[in-house]
Amino acid sequence: MGQRWFVPWGFLLPAVSVLGVFFVLAFVQVGYYSLTRYTPFSADGPRWVGLENYRRLLSTDRFWWCLLNSFLYLLVTPAIIALSLLSAMVVEAGLRGTRSWLRVVLFLPVVTPTIVAAIAWQAALAERDGAINSVLRMVGLGGVPWLTEWPWTLVSAMLVTLWKGFGFYMMIFLAALLAVPRELKEAAHLDGASRWSVFRHVTLPSIFPVVVLVFVISSIAALKVFEELYVTVKGAPVEDQTVVPLIYDTAFERGDYGLASAIGITLFAVILAFSLVNLRLSSRRSQEAA
Amino acid sequence: MDRRPTWLTLVMYVGAGLMAGLAVGPGLFLLIVAVQPAESAFFSVPTHPTGKNFVDAWTKGELAGPMLNSVLVTLARSVLNVLLAAMAAYPLARMKFRGRSTLFVLILATMMIPDQVIVVPMFRTIVSMGLVDTLVAVVIPFSVSAFGIYLCKQAFEQIPMSLEEAARIDGAGSVQVWWHVMLPLAAPTLSTLALFSMIGAWSELLWPLIVLQSGNKYTLPVAVNQLLGQFADNPRLPYAAAVMTLVPIVLAFIAAQRFLKPQMFSGAVKG
Repeated sequence: MGQRWFVPWGFLLPAVSVLGVFFVLAFVQVGYYSLTRYTPFSADGPRWVGLENYRRLLSTDRFWWCLLNSFLYLLVTPAIIALSLLSAMVVEAGLRGTRSWLRVVLFLPVVTPTIVAAIAWQAALAERDGAINSVLRMVGLGGVPWLTEWPWTLVSAMLVTLWKGFGFYMMIFLAALLAVPRELKEAAHLDGASRWSVFRHVTLPSIFPVVVLVFVISSIAALKVFEELYVTVKGAPVEDQTVVPLIYDTAFERGDYGLASAIGITLFAVILAFSLVNLRLSSRRSQEAA
Repeated sequence: MDRRPTWLTLVMYVGAGLMAGLAVGPGLFLLIVAVQPAESAFFSVPTHPTGKNFVDAWTKGELAGPMLNSVLVTLARSVLNVLLAAMAAYPLARMKFRGRSTLFVLILATMMIPDQVIVVPMFRTIVSMGLVDTLVAVVIPFSVSAFGIYLCKQAFEQIPMSLEEAARIDGAGSVQVWWHVMLPLAAPTLSTLALFSMIGAWSELLWPLIVLQSGNKYTLPVAVNQLLGQFADNPRLPYAAAVMTLVPIVLAFIAAQRFLKPQMFSGAVKG
């Protein structure tokens, strides 16, 4: 098309400047800061120290604990996949009396601000008089220190992540289930396949790429988790939390921008490696399937 | 397919009930705590519901300002997200120019950067722009997203080329084509994007917590966060404040729920 050169760039300018300044440039800056000593009080700005921050990082227990906790946090993804797939199947079944509202109701947690969710879940998880511990005591089990002791603190935040997230992934699965060709299921059924084997051999293979997709998206979200921990288990020591709360603590509580940036770059590398491995695996899978 | 066996239907009804209960339970629980008088047992059946906690949380927590700020920030972010993403997506979907595919990959790559990782230089930039402690600072960095651009590009690519060509033959320029052809035909996607931006903006905590300093600039989540732990004389007030934070976004969502179609997600999925 013969439009003049500035036409596309005119359309792109606002978005590209925002993303350029606040994401790309900021990311380059983080890379630079990670090689400097830099605090809010550095009068003359960041001072070059080479790989010093990375050396400090690798030799502190706090970092390794937080990284371990970030990997533990990935355990939330199987739960998310199970709950969102199950709810998508129930919604897809279109039970009489649920058709108009179930989808919308299951999406409500996604709409709920994390701070609001955290206030409700804190009350449910409170150690002395929380709803969950009261039930546990009623059936003769001891109370669990949900909000104060590792690893329960992680479990509590994971509950909030699961609760807030499953409605979103449910919609993705619902889209995938609705796209499975009806004729395929009917043909399998006419061939005498049971409901279970239709699900196992027709539905599941055709939605498998979406399962992988949800796995990847929710894992990346789990590695990036912050708000759920920040508001649900506020009191927990930072080494009982994950990497992003450690970044926040290092930058804004301790004022060590250099070290915080080094942690940020490391986390980015972990997420990148994770995504690339998954991309490779899932493309190999789909090649095999083809 | 054959009829579903009765037992399976029953199991599904029970499942639907449990999931719906899980979804609305915490919200109802907040409401039950919030409507009871301060002196009654904390968790109990509300026999004498009262609105007093809401009034107290509103006045003592000074929530009027934060409520207005949240509405403004949410509106601005939703409008800008749709506008900027739709603008950027048009040339990416429909024009030939040097660097197009590189640029698109670069835009998508910004999705991989966790916001929290770049929060320090983001904050430095806001400081150097002199925007600390302003609502503009809450809006600008998140006024467009790679996800939004991607969504709009997908939608524009679905629009038949012939419609655009017809408009061009009638003498329409790029801006007119974008405004009169692309935007109306992509309206469902744009509405979905607006809905997601609205949800994200209303709920955002970390960034406003960092850039806002004075109480009268706070957005609602920040104000509620500050409220926690205060008011030892009436522990129900944070619950009342939480309900007041939840209700507007739930109402807005229910009003807009017809834009929440599974098809929108399949578009986002196929890539």
